[in-house]
Amino acid sequence: GDSWGIFAFLCAALCHLPAVPALNGTDELGAGQSIQKTYDLTRYLEHQLRTLAGTYLNYLGPPFNEPDFNPPRLARAERVPSATVDLELWRGLTDNARLAANYRAYSRLLCYLRGLDGQAGTAELRHSLGHFCSSLQGLVVSIAGVMSSLGYPLPAGTATGPPAPAGTPATPNDFLKKMDDFWLLKELQTWLWRSAKDFNRLKKKVPPAVVTLRLEARGI
Amino acid sequence: SSTDSHIQYERVGADVTMKCGSMDRDATVTWTANGTDIDDSHLNGSYLVLKHVDLTQSGQYSCYEGSSWHLKYQTYLRVGLPPKEPVLMCRSNNYPKGFYCSWHLPSPTYIPNSFNISVIHGTREMICERDILPKNRCHIRYLQLFSTVKYKVTLTVTNALGKNSTTLTFDEFTIVKPDPPESVVAKPVPNNPRRLEVSWQNPSSWPDPESFPLKFFLRYRPLILDQWQHVELSDGTSHTITDAYAGKEYIIQVAAKDNDIGTWSDWSVAVHATPWMEEPKHLTTEAQMTETTSTSTSSFMPPPTTKICDRGARVGSGAVAVCWTAGLVLAAYSVFFI
Repeated sequence: GDSWGIFAFLCAALCHLPAVPALNGTDELGAGQSIQKTYDLTRYLEHQLRTLAGTYLNYLGPPFNEPDFNPPRLARAERVPSATVDLELWRGLTDNARLAANYRAYSRLLCYLRGLDGQAGTAELRHSLGHFCSSLQGLVVSIAGVMSSLGYPLPAGTATGPPAPAGTPATPNDFLKKMDDFWLLKELQTWLWRSAKDFNRLKKKVPPAVVTLRLEARGI
Repeated sequence: SSTDSHIQYERVGADVTMKCGSMDRDATVTWTANGTDIDDSHLNGSYLVLKHVDLTQSGQYSCYEGSSWHLKYQTYLRVGLPPKEPVLMCRSNNYPKGFYCSWHLPSPTYIPNSFNISVIHGTREMICERDILPKNRCHIRYLQLFSTVKYKVTLTVTNALGKNSTTLTFDEFTIVKPDPPESVVAKPVPNNPRRLEVSWQNPSSWPDPESFPLKFFLRYRPLILDQWQHVELSDGTSHTITDAYAGKEYIIQVAAKDNDIGTWSDWSVAVHATPWMEEPKHLTTEAQMTETTSTSTSSFMPPPTTKICDRGARVGSGAVAVCWTAGLVLAAYSVFFI
């Protein structure tokens, strides 16, 4: 009943957090190194997620933990930001747009992730979820850092967090809620794959850092 | 079984009865198989009865009226099998452009087969364009990247005796597998008896190595040992091996993988190289000395001297000689012109 209200409130509050620490700390690092760190972080998270998702899907039980499970997307799932994009559009994204898309996506994904069933499974599972959320927050902060070191403004509107979708009542249907969780994890996984590619592209566009890294590799 | 007036397909092991066109059942006829008369024991009146047909009985069967030798009926019998479940494989060696699927039958049917492939992505049906060569292959272009929805590919094989199908369901990321690196070259390093310089190129099928960089895996071992050594390289298309056994011929291969997704390519074509050696004083019975051609020149390189303009016994020293010569010439000219 009022769990959604509380949830929406918490998200609104929590989602203000990432904006604050981003303003300091990363300016000393070259943008190139920040990009490299962010890239490394996405790879680390992707790796962590593999284990976490496996455990969580087992907690949800069949059919969600079946490898061939391939359900159609229901309209309600659209609120989770999708990484899917037209190829040429993705190629043509400006650095700012590319970073902003990542920032927005992870901010919202983080919120939803924090909203995952608080009573989920074992204490171990809850602990893993908590740990992952912290790491994911680190990613959001890292992206914000890259944006600020490149002089881009942080996207407005992410601080409000994902609203409880209008007209959608608190999920009485356990199955639909599990479906939402399934798609959340899927989108998160896809975003992490996409981000690796996004940050690869960004890496190429920040020459001084590239030169530094190459020199280091040659032992100079 | 299906009966076409010209071709008749029957299953191996089946019993086949052929009628002589519109002739009465008890008419007198002669049947031939590929021109050879068929023994009466196979006849039931004017019907030809073949029991438990096998592949050798494929051929042209003709029926002639007894006395007039008019040809009354002719058919081509093809004995075969219904298709077994086909083997289907899909792979993206040109990410992010698209992917291809290829297939084959695990065992022959001995009769013509037709293949139909369908690709469904979410609610959308996509067209997989058939390749001309190789035959059993089709390719598809990605319309979107970073999709959360799986692709479902169904291959159906049909022939006159039956049909069968198989389905693959996969995520965009899991089928990424580049082709092996190309133009792998391994060279000895002058004056370095334990080094080998290896270089290669991105596979030409990989369309965008800038945005989708590849990482590489190098493996090498001396021919005389079974144990490989491995190096993983996240950047660049060259590497110097620094721990080669002096004087031993090496076999070297490279594989590629997208930096973040998918699986490793197959190993590249193997190249052989032997590290640089001082001019050998006395050859023992090492077999490798006699067989290698491309790398044997390295064993005959003259010992390093301070003399720069050698005739260039090898590509390596030759290039250096050219460089030095060019340098001297340029220096001479510049002095001349100043």
